[in-house]
Amino acid sequence: MSSEEIKIHYTKKELPSGFSRLGFILLIIGLILVVLSFITDYNRATQNSVIIFTFLTSISIGSLFLVALEYIAGAVWSVPFRRISEIISFIIFLIPIFALPALLNLHGVFHWSHQEAVANDKLLQVKAPYLNETFFIIRNIAIFLIWWLFYKFLTGNSRKQDSTYDQKLTTTNIKLSAAFMPIFGISLTIIAIDWLMSLEPHWFSTIFGVYYFAGTILSALACLTLMVLYLNEKGLLVKGLTKDHYYSLGALMFAFINFWAYIAFSQFMLIWYANLPEETFWFITRWQGGWSYLSYGLIFIHFVIPYAILLPQPAKMDPLRLKIAAVIILLAHFYDLYWLSMPSFSKDVVLFSWYEIAFPILAVGLFITIFSIKSKKINLVPIGDPKMKRALEFKL
Amino acid sequence: MSVDYTREISVIEGSPSFAAVNELIARPLDEKPDKKYYFALAITLSMLGIGAICLGATFWFGTGVWGLNNPVGWAFDIVNFVFWVGIGHAGTLISAILFLFRQRWRTGIARFAEGMTIFAVMTAGLFPLIHTGRPWLDGYLLPYPNQHHLWVNFTSPLLWDVFAVSTYFTVSFVFWYIGLMPDFASLRDRAKSRIKKIIYSIFSLGWRHSHRHWHHYEMIYLILAGFATPLVLSVHTIVSFDFAVSILPGWHTTIFPPYFVAGAVFSGFAMVQNVLIFIRKIFNMEHIITMDTLEKMNKIMLVTGSMVGYAYGMEFFIAWYGGNPIEFFVFLNRAFGDYAWSYWVMVSCNLLFPQLFWFKKIRTNIKAMFVIGVLVNVGMWFERFVIIVTTLSRDFLPSSWGFFTPTIFDLGILVGSFGLFFTLLLLFTKTLPVVSIAEVKAVLDHAQPKHHHGD
Repeated sequence: MSSEEIKIHYTKKELPSGFSRLGFILLIIGLILVVLSFITDYNRATQNSVIIFTFLTSISIGSLFLVALEYIAGAVWSVPFRRISEIISFIIFLIPIFALPALLNLHGVFHWSHQEAVANDKLLQVKAPYLNETFFIIRNIAIFLIWWLFYKFLTGNSRKQDSTYDQKLTTTNIKLSAAFMPIFGISLTIIAIDWLMSLEPHWFSTIFGVYYFAGTILSALACLTLMVLYLNEKGLLVKGLTKDHYYSLGALMFAFINFWAYIAFSQFMLIWYANLPEETFWFITRWQGGWSYLSYGLIFIHFVIPYAILLPQPAKMDPLRLKIAAVIILLAHFYDLYWLSMPSFSKDVVLFSWYEIAFPILAVGLFITIFSIKSKKINLVPIGDPKMKRALEFKL
Repeated sequence: MSVDYTREISVIEGSPSFAAVNELIARPLDEKPDKKYYFALAITLSMLGIGAICLGATFWFGTGVWGLNNPVGWAFDIVNFVFWVGIGHAGTLISAILFLFRQRWRTGIARFAEGMTIFAVMTAGLFPLIHTGRPWLDGYLLPYPNQHHLWVNFTSPLLWDVFAVSTYFTVSFVFWYIGLMPDFASLRDRAKSRIKKIIYSIFSLGWRHSHRHWHHYEMIYLILAGFATPLVLSVHTIVSFDFAVSILPGWHTTIFPPYFVAGAVFSGFAMVQNVLIFIRKIFNMEHIITMDTLEKMNKIMLVTGSMVGYAYGMEFFIAWYGGNPIEFFVFLNRAFGDYAWSYWVMVSCNLLFPQLFWFKKIRTNIKAMFVIGVLVNVGMWFERFVIIVTTLSRDFLPSSWGFFTPTIFDLGILVGSFGLFFTLLLLFTKTLPVVSIAEVKAVLDHAQPKHHHGD
């Protein structure tokens, strides 16, 4: 197969300057707010950094998962979008920065890191071999390193293909993706347990890793959809993308909305029904005072509303409705992470003010800035991928 | 070895003509069964007979003939129920979920897998009915206003099972039948004997292959697939609730719903793969049920098997992490107690052996994949045994601990369930087209709009 038969028509264009400007402004505002929040309330800022850390982890490693999934499943329709996921997953390099505040201030976030708390608590003593500062830091660093390596090789091979048109690189990436899958499953579970479940160190739930996984994939898909729609409208992708491609993105989001709801319901239902105090206290905290409104709100923002928007078949092909759904899903995932972590820090009062918005503004600014910088050098479409031509001919 | 990613893999190999597809799939229905068929039928009927005798004894003497005892009140009956319901799940996954995901490779195997779903659910449905001990009173499982003011317990997942399984069976059956209609019409049009013609005419419900018929067909097929998808997930979710809503250590764990669904798909695929290996050989359908299809099924087994393995690991980890000594004891007891052998059968068959499917050589080797498929089913049967029996045999009071040993009646009914399933399957292969004639035609290379001549 010569490279001539793979080649497609693609001219690289610059992103609109307004896009990168917006990112830069948000980045600066966010940075100022974050610094202010650290100065005024150190612990609360650290707690917020946990939420944004888990959020950016979702989007970045979730995007790398989508890349690997395409290779391993041999998917064709998603090939024109793969490069966008690859660029988003670059954030893997930056998430340790957001883990840093918590790592430097473990006591402000993790109850189990207090020696005196462990000394008086039998349950925490049992968990100490897993929940201790040294092991926590070691395993998290190890996970970042492994993720970096997979990012490097997977996206590196894909980019190399842009100029070499070498099909062997696809084969290599399929093998890499296969190796990535089990590692991804285990490492994401560890992240979920360490950063979200252990905030309430007495609580446990076997499904928790799957719950975080559902949110991860859903938000990565929403992020991808949003970027695809934006870039395609600006004419920065290739010709030949049709409603059928959009439909596939919409259908996949719809499937994962249901998957998240299924997992969330399973977790709640079983704990509610068995009614064991060792498990129910976690939900009771979230079902008292102001938190109860947030709990009901979660059902709507994370399931009912996006479900209703994406249920009709035409909605999955309509750019406007897809965009609305994607934005709601991204908000919902942040909402979910806030709901998972904040009640552990403030059991009685719902805390929400500019502190909680500082990090998200910074994250959006950073995301846009990273995307515009990266897209200057890199093609937005994997033009050398052997499946590209088939992808553009894709019909439902 | 290099693969050319610019070309699509054909769903059906060799591009046979439409007429050839008709002939090939309809041939088993025209020919008289051969000796081998009667021999196979004799075996499955004997197994069914053994089951019937054991079941008769159970009805006559009561469930006391089973190995159940005081702490272990659920054993083979519920294990078999969960096992057979699980087997059914692959069919719906292939026919409905893979259809919604537009996986065209499902075409060659969907009909057969769906048939297996129906037979597996029928087999499974027997067990809760006989498990009640007085099956003649099972009618009370259905809630209806009656003079005795007897009502079912709506808060029990065991009752939800009744609703879930019966709804699932109904929808699967309708889905299967709708898919069969165009094929009945094709069979009617080519039937030579008058009786056959009449039978096929009745079942084809006046299908004439008209454009309007196809239009309606496509719509209802999509809608039913949309219905069947949440239904199939709900069935095994509710089966998992049978255990997980309780507070027994080893049963109450939140990962049960997705873990049971993954396990069900896993064992179902193993069974479908096992049977299809024979079907494609006996009926000369190696170009319709291709090696590529089998390889994809093996990949799904690898994925779902690893999910099940993840759940084993997670359960064990959280049993320790949760800090509840009784919970952790139950898991240690599973791995090292009286039933340790069954635990390790489960782990090796479900987690370790399927890992061999990482290698393409094994994924595409008929003998190897068959053996692994059998092992998976053994492992998945033992998984349910481990979950149910190890937990029950260790009561909260050590003075009430017990040990379950199956009796000949338990084993006989298990054998009988396989007999029933395979008897129905054998009858199916000789009465209905095992592959969808209409759907296969639609995925032939030369039926594709982008097909270029001379490729």
